[in-house]
Amino acid sequence: MFAYLKKRNYINLKTILIAALVSAILVSINLSAAAQTTAAQNLSADEIINRRDENEYVITAYSEAEMIIKNSGRSQTKTMRSWQDKENALAEFTNPRDRGTKFLKRGDDLWMFFPQAEDLVKISGHMLEQGMMGSDFSYQDMLESDKLTDLYNFKLLGEEEYEGRTAYKLEGVKVPGKEVSYYRRVVWIDKERFVGLKEDLYAESGRLLKEARVLEVEEIEGRWYPVHMVMENKLRQNTSTEFIVREIEFNPDLPDNIFTLERLR
Amino acid sequence: MFFLRMAFKNLTRHKRRTIITALIIAFAILIYVMTDGLMLGMTEMSFDNIINLESGHLQVVDQNYWEDRKELPLKNLITPSAELEAEIKKTAGYVAMTKRLKFAVNLNNGIDELPVTGVGIDLGQDDKVFELQNYLVEGRMPEADSSEIIMGAKLAELMDFKTGDYAVMLIRTEEKTFNTIDGEIVGLFNTPHPSLNESNVFLPLSTAQDRLNTKGKISHYAVRLSDQNQALTAAEELSTRLEAPLQAYSWKDAAKSLVTMIEMQDIETQVVLAVILTLAAVGIINTVILSALERMEELGMMKALGMHEREIVYTFMGEAAGIGVIGGIMGIIMGIIGLSIFNINGIDISTITAGGDMTYGFPLSGTIYAGWEISSFIFVFIYGIIVSVLASIFPALWAARKDPVKAIYHR
Repeated sequence: MFAYLKKRNYINLKTILIAALVSAILVSINLSAAAQTTAAQNLSADEIINRRDENEYVITAYSEAEMIIKNSGRSQTKTMRSWQDKENALAEFTNPRDRGTKFLKRGDDLWMFFPQAEDLVKISGHMLEQGMMGSDFSYQDMLESDKLTDLYNFKLLGEEEYEGRTAYKLEGVKVPGKEVSYYRRVVWIDKERFVGLKEDLYAESGRLLKEARVLEVEEIEGRWYPVHMVMENKLRQNTSTEFIVREIEFNPDLPDNIFTLERLR
Repeated sequence: MFFLRMAFKNLTRHKRRTIITALIIAFAILIYVMTDGLMLGMTEMSFDNIINLESGHLQVVDQNYWEDRKELPLKNLITPSAELEAEIKKTAGYVAMTKRLKFAVNLNNGIDELPVTGVGIDLGQDDKVFELQNYLVEGRMPEADSSEIIMGAKLAELMDFKTGDYAVMLIRTEEKTFNTIDGEIVGLFNTPHPSLNESNVFLPLSTAQDRLNTKGKISHYAVRLSDQNQALTAAEELSTRLEAPLQAYSWKDAAKSLVTMIEMQDIETQVVLAVILTLAAVGIINTVILSALERMEELGMMKALGMHEREIVYTFMGEAAGIGVIGGIMGIIMGIIGLSIFNINGIDISTITAGGDMTYGFPLSGTIYAGWEISSFIFVFIYGIIVSVLASIFPALWAARKDPVKAIYHR
């Protein structure tokens, strides 16, 4: 093209510039596309985990959710609404039995407010290991908010079909010296959508403690988000907790001072 | 001493009334002696339970651990060393020591989970300090370095475990990571210490250290001395020789809440005694007024013949003191009989608590026996006499101040 122009001795600077720009853009798009496909094929274990976390772990959100706790044939449903930002979270139960019960997480601390007793309790020590409101999620599970790749050394075990979706299977082993609950975790992550599909949590002795499965994912505001999941405590028979997100809004305007103890009362 | 003789004669003049009034005092004393004996017995047994099953005479602990020991932390543990042990052995009255590691456990039977206390015990040494193995009701003690466990028969019943079953113990290591111990239950115990039966699981120390990743550390040394009364001074003396932050605590420190509770109970007993003796005092007042009314003419005559008011009051007081002495003697004899019955047969605590163990307060279960304390007998005897004498003063004054003429006419 340039040769032709030169030959014709017809040099229009503007045309050249435009052409150069267009081709530059095209090339860069092509390159980045190529880079993306190769990266997708050779994502490291940490990258896969972080991509899932970027997808699933929202920074600021308001959500309404339902928790179905099943324990040896009995089932109870709790509903709640929650607000969260980077460090803090507040959950308020709305079902009649627990109405007004609130949890506030501020950094590494967790408080609970009982409306009947008007009592504010800090949950600490071995209370943290109890299931939250009788569910299979422990309070401790709620508090662990550090980046998973800092706490665990992840290794890609391969790709596996899981419930009709191709998934990466990864294994994370605790980084020595870090304070984390589970020694080892095995995660299945959807290869295309980067949503966790299943997660097995193990004790140091190798015993399976908990199993979390995602039953339903939805595309919300452009990202795939797990909206229905079930957690099973593998040490106890016939117990499971289902968690269903009814509504979620990313990056809402949070009321001022919502994450303070004063607002909890 | 005319009035004393008079008082004595008056006492023998109305034998039946004297005996009945004395009986009131006797019963008050009986109740006090029994309550006190029972309290004393419970206190002694509780302390024995704490010493023999929970804390030993002395505990050597990191003082930062001691503050939050109820939380069963895995922080501020002790690394055992030969020098430290040699230092502990120098304590006056030293008999034996053992290492223990306490930690929080979620005991799991596949259906339910129960938070309990896990205790890693040094199996060669533990029985020299503690008496746990004397209370095995089934099976045997765990073998060293195995993952065999023993637990209270009560806890096993609650969790539906039998010997030979495997219990999953969910624990957190030093780094807060979950770990599990599949413990084979090889023995069940039933101690007189209820909280031990309900919420403790014992296993070999090395197994506990291994699963908790504590790298050979322990939470404390427990030391047995030849005499429990040495513990306080021994703890102070040993603490001065230990390097900070290590410190020795006596069993009294370990049982601090119990000691406070017993002090409160003691006050309670005194209040009850005061109420009962006040009632007895009312009986005495009544008796004195009655005998004064009865003897009004007599009193008037005596006053007319020149007897002092003071002497009349003394006569009544002497009479009351006599009743107090008689009541006191009767009460103490009854008390000795009552306490002997208590001591020989004991009382089954489940009859008091309607079948259950005491879930609060005293760490006691099974049969309790009363204790003896000679000082409490002496105290209540003297107290009884003083109350009787004091109760007689006012009615005696009332009688003595009567005008002789009016008294003789009895109007």
